[in-house]
Amino acid sequence: MADVVFNTMGTTVSLHSLTELAEPDVLAVREAFARLDRQFSLYRADSEASRIARGERRLTASTSEFREAYARAIEWRELTMGAFTPHRPDGVIDLSGIVKAMAITAAGDELRGRGYDDWILNAGGDILVAGNAADSLWLAGIVDPADRAALLCSVPLIAPWQALATSGTAERGEHVWRTSTAAEFVQVTVLAATIEEADVLATAILSAGCTLRDDVLDCRDVDVITVDREGQITASQRVSRHSTLVSA
Amino acid sequence: MRKRAVYASILSSAAVLAVGWQIGTMGTAQTSVVAATTASDPATTPPSTSGSNGATAEAPSDTTTTDTPTTPPDTTTTAPATAATDGTYTGASASTRFGNVQVQITVAGGQLTEVTALQLTDSDGKSVQISNRAAPVLREEALTAQSAAIQTVSGATYTSEAYITSLQSALDQAGL
Repeated sequence: MADVVFNTMGTTVSLHSLTELAEPDVLAVREAFARLDRQFSLYRADSEASRIARGERRLTASTSEFREAYARAIEWRELTMGAFTPHRPDGVIDLSGIVKAMAITAAGDELRGRGYDDWILNAGGDILVAGNAADSLWLAGIVDPADRAALLCSVPLIAPWQALATSGTAERGEHVWRTSTAAEFVQVTVLAATIEEADVLATAILSAGCTLRDDVLDCRDVDVITVDREGQITASQRVSRHSTLVSA
Repeated sequence: MRKRAVYASILSSAAVLAVGWQIGTMGTAQTSVVAATTASDPATTPPSTSGSNGATAEAPSDTTTTDTPTTPPDTTTTAPATAATDGTYTGASASTRFGNVQVQITVAGGQLTEVTALQLTDSDGKSVQISNRAAPVLREEALTAQSAAIQTVSGATYTSEAYITSLQSALDQAGL
């Protein structure tokens, strides 16, 4: 079994490994997603997140996992100048912005710990890879927001930048709370060393626009590809050298 | 009091010396920490430097990194050993009490035109790229990307229902 597809967290996970995946190892990967979903999903009435949202449990009485995730989300809020936030407008703590990334990271740790060196984990369009493809680097296509059956470009996942996340308005509607009224980008892709950094920054840049994109590129070791409302594309210099995008 | 002032001046001279030393050895620096040049691209050979000539500069960083992973490594260019070649050169990082400092020089027309000190440690202590600013790119004919041998697809988060009609689903069905 080299390919596994399963549904979790409201989306679909695709796992591909160069070596055969043993059944217990696939179960461990699935459990990494299921465990975090059980704890953090606001769609589950019995999750810890829902109990805290309803006021049945105080944050100070929450599990250390919950508080650690919340602390990291607050840290991301500071680093993105509020563009990423773990608080819904109604004040409820919503960690869904980092929970999927936490699950992908945990699943990746399971795979590494179980001796798998070359694999791709794709959860709803967020990607973490390890090692290489059979005879090349792993190559990811990035969807064209104007035509989701077409690709904008392809990007090699070169270590240490082996995580790729895309945020956009195309699939789930305007699910991102915009902190900028300009709403200039319709899709933002971030290539980073960890999926949490890629995912959070993609969400934050989609929300806040080009000023945050430029700040992020100035001080963090990541790459960014954006598409604006007019269909104009920008890419950071390093990724445009490696991708199939052509310099303007 | 006086002792402290002396210590302070020694420390600051040491910092200046460390930076100066970096400028002096920049030519042979093979340990450039510029992220782009150390991208562990297995298809790209590291820039070779001339061992005999200390003044030889490493190839400009943007030349060594234009290789796409599929390009044969023999297109990597090395600066000639005789004259300074135009371009931007980055020295190795030096540790100072202010953090990691690195120097970048620009050579134009065979002359040194600019020296910039770069602070290359971000809040996490990770080294960062000098300039990785976003620039406009053209939408290449989609066919090029479509025909590339991609193994996975990134897009805005899709639901389990939308997955069925996604490109990722097509890839999964094709067994890559």
